[in-house]
Amino acid sequence: MLKLDNVHKSFGKLVAVNGVSLEIKPGEVFGLLGPNGAGKTTTVNMAVGLLEPDQGTVSINSNLSPLEPATRRKIGVAPQALALYGELTGHENLTFYGKLQGLTGKKLNERVDWALDFVQLKDRQKDRVDTYSGGMQRRLNLAVAVLQDPQLLLLDEPTVGVDPQSRNAIFDNIESLRGKGRAILYTTHYMEEAQRLCDHVGIMDQGKLLALDTVDGLITSYGGKDIIIAELESGEVKIETNDPVAELEKLQKQGKLLRFRLERSNLENVFLSLTGRQLRD
Amino acid sequence: MREIIALARKDLKLLLRDKTGAFFVFFFPLIFAVFFGVIFSGGGGGTSAIPVALIDEDSTEASRAFAEILINSGELEILKTDRATAEDLVRRGKQTAFIVLPDCFGQRRENVFYGDAAIIEIGLDPSRKAEAAMLQGLLTGHYMKGFMTMFTDPTAARDQMQTGLDQIRELTGDDREQFVDLERFLVKLDTAFAELITAEKDSAAIDSMKTQSAETGWQPIKFAVSEVTLQRDGPKNSFEVSFPQALIWAMIGCAAAFGISLVVERTHGTLVRLRVMPIKLSQILAGKGLACFGAIVVVGTMLFVIFTIFFNVQAGSILFFIMALASSAICFVGIMMLLSVLGKTEASAGGIGWAALLIMAMLGGGMIPLFVMPSWIRGFSSISPVKWAVLALEGAVWRGFTLEMMLQHCGILVGIGVILFIIGARVFKSTAH
Ligand SMILES: Nc1ncnc2c1ncn2[C@@H]1O[C@H](COP(=O)(O)OP(=O)(O)OP(=O)(O)O)[C@@H](O)[C@H]1O
Ligand SMILES: [Mg+2]
Repeated sequence: MLKLDNVHKSFGKLVAVNGVSLEIKPGEVFGLLGPNGAGKTTTVNMAVGLLEPDQGTVSINSNLSPLEPATRRKIGVAPQALALYGELTGHENLTFYGKLQGLTGKKLNERVDWALDFVQLKDRQKDRVDTYSGGMQRRLNLAVAVLQDPQLLLLDEPTVGVDPQSRNAIFDNIESLRGKGRAILYTTHYMEEAQRLCDHVGIMDQGKLLALDTVDGLITSYGGKDIIIAELESGEVKIETNDPVAELEKLQKQGKLLRFRLERSNLENVFLSLTGRQLRD
Repeated sequence: MREIIALARKDLKLLLRDKTGAFFVFFFPLIFAVFFGVIFSGGGGGTSAIPVALIDEDSTEASRAFAEILINSGELEILKTDRATAEDLVRRGKQTAFIVLPDCFGQRRENVFYGDAAIIEIGLDPSRKAEAAMLQGLLTGHYMKGFMTMFTDPTAARDQMQTGLDQIRELTGDDREQFVDLERFLVKLDTAFAELITAEKDSAAIDSMKTQSAETGWQPIKFAVSEVTLQRDGPKNSFEVSFPQALIWAMIGCAAAFGISLVVERTHGTLVRLRVMPIKLSQILAGKGLACFGAIVVVGTMLFVIFTIFFNVQAGSILFFIMALASSAICFVGIMMLLSVLGKTEASAGGIGWAALLIMAMLGGGMIPLFVMPSWIRGFSSISPVKWAVLALEGAVWRGFTLEMMLQHCGILVGIGVILFIIGARVFKSTAH
């Protein structure tokens, strides 16, 4: 659905994206995980044709360029910077953007209702957007992206500031879109989100894609060992291991195991081992 | 095109919800023009007295007395002059009408109840039907009033009238037939005089005389109306000068509002979203242009209606006015586009934009009318698009432009608009990526 092939983008001397290649297939959620300034937004902007890569190619459906307006009909974007008209109501914002996407009449009304449901904003649809809370605005921003039910969704940190309950509902909805065969690019710096939602995750830092795999694949390759913290009669021990079950059996044979805790490795550790830095400082 | 209309409608909606924007687009221009219109109308504002030129060709005691009555009435603003000047003044719209008291006026006035009725000639533009009717009513009234003063003693007048009646009644056949109307009038008038003698109420008697003359079909005076087609080459009143200025300020308000709104779209991220929609950047800009054009046309029409109804502004040609308004709107759409690339932030674009617009307005006659500017500034002012817009609008309202002149000015405006729009759009596109 979306293919980036060795794309580069610089702003003056600053290299924002440095040779990124990735592919997202229908029915897949692809997570782009990286800290501030990693180049995630720049990558998304190239994917939707807002920026032209200095080098490399972007193709939608194997041969279409997002620089063509017609191609963009297939793409829905939730930009990181909120893009809403505060003086208009939520409903008016959606109707306006829907018209620009070529929706009309009954179909337009249906889709607007559906999108409002998607982000659970039905009860506030008649209010002006500048009276919404930050999280509500973020949710409406996402509603615009899913409005015309595009084949490719580019979601740039779509849940920043959204409360856990709404966020869970949105995740469920995104998963159902995946079930319908939509391709989704999801950028975030929350590893929990990537872990929960994404089939494939790309770890990005300083413009480079450092690793790309399934969540499990990444943890196995870069996450290091799991940690067992066990309380024995002789005292507490901390053991790093690739095979916690075998390790626990061994401990039990050695003496009486009172309690234990298992710390599974995660994407945080993956990032740490790839860059030598924490994902969040 | 549907997308462009959707974009334009969104912008108009946003403007309506923005109170400051609406103020500069509509209320400020209105206040400005009314304020200056009133100041330059020499105080008092729209006086209700109709300005008329009076020509006394009779020059008798009676005609002079009648002129005196009209002058003192306060209902008419009388300018005594000769026929040629009067016709010219009416043609140029400086005076609403002229009134001629022809040389038989005094003599016929003596024929109180018989003989030929006095004739008063009035001249005015055929479109001024309301004024013509009002003028005839006023003149009839004053003429009647003159009658009354002739009879200083109502009782004596009644006797004289009775004699007249007797004379008529003595007539027979066709001769009698001729005076049926007069006879009926005199009978009723007799009652009126009777009332007058008891009540001594001058004005009531005149009123009753008027109604009686209408009821009986007898006319004490006749009017000869000649048509003088209005030919505009000077403002009729100060509002005709300030009205084009109101339009200029409305257009300036629109250009600023929409120019700044394009900057706001950029700073608030909505431009990014518009650009990821399946539309071209040129459509986005066209939508903005259409919104600006639409707002100018709507506000311009509203101001036109207001000034026509309440401030006696009369466009020499409605078609020319539409042409002038539309081409000025195109010009200001171009200005709007250029303004939108002058500053990076709302504040800087607003500041630079308003400064540029104010200078344009100042030079171009948006503040001080062009015709009171010293000629060296007037030459200089040609660089301001505002001047061309003012001239085109004035051309349609009171300068009496020919079609050729109109097309020339509109052409210049459209040309400026297109060029500025292209420059602005180019710069905008180059900074968008
Ligand atoms: N228009 C621009 N002009 C100059 N530099 C830019 C521009 N856009 C991005 N950059 C730079 O490119 C780098 C990558 O920015 P980008 O916005 O892609 O990061 P990000 O991964 O989305 O970060 P965040 O998590 O904070 O959103 C940053 O160093 C940023 O300063
Ligand atoms: Mg970003």
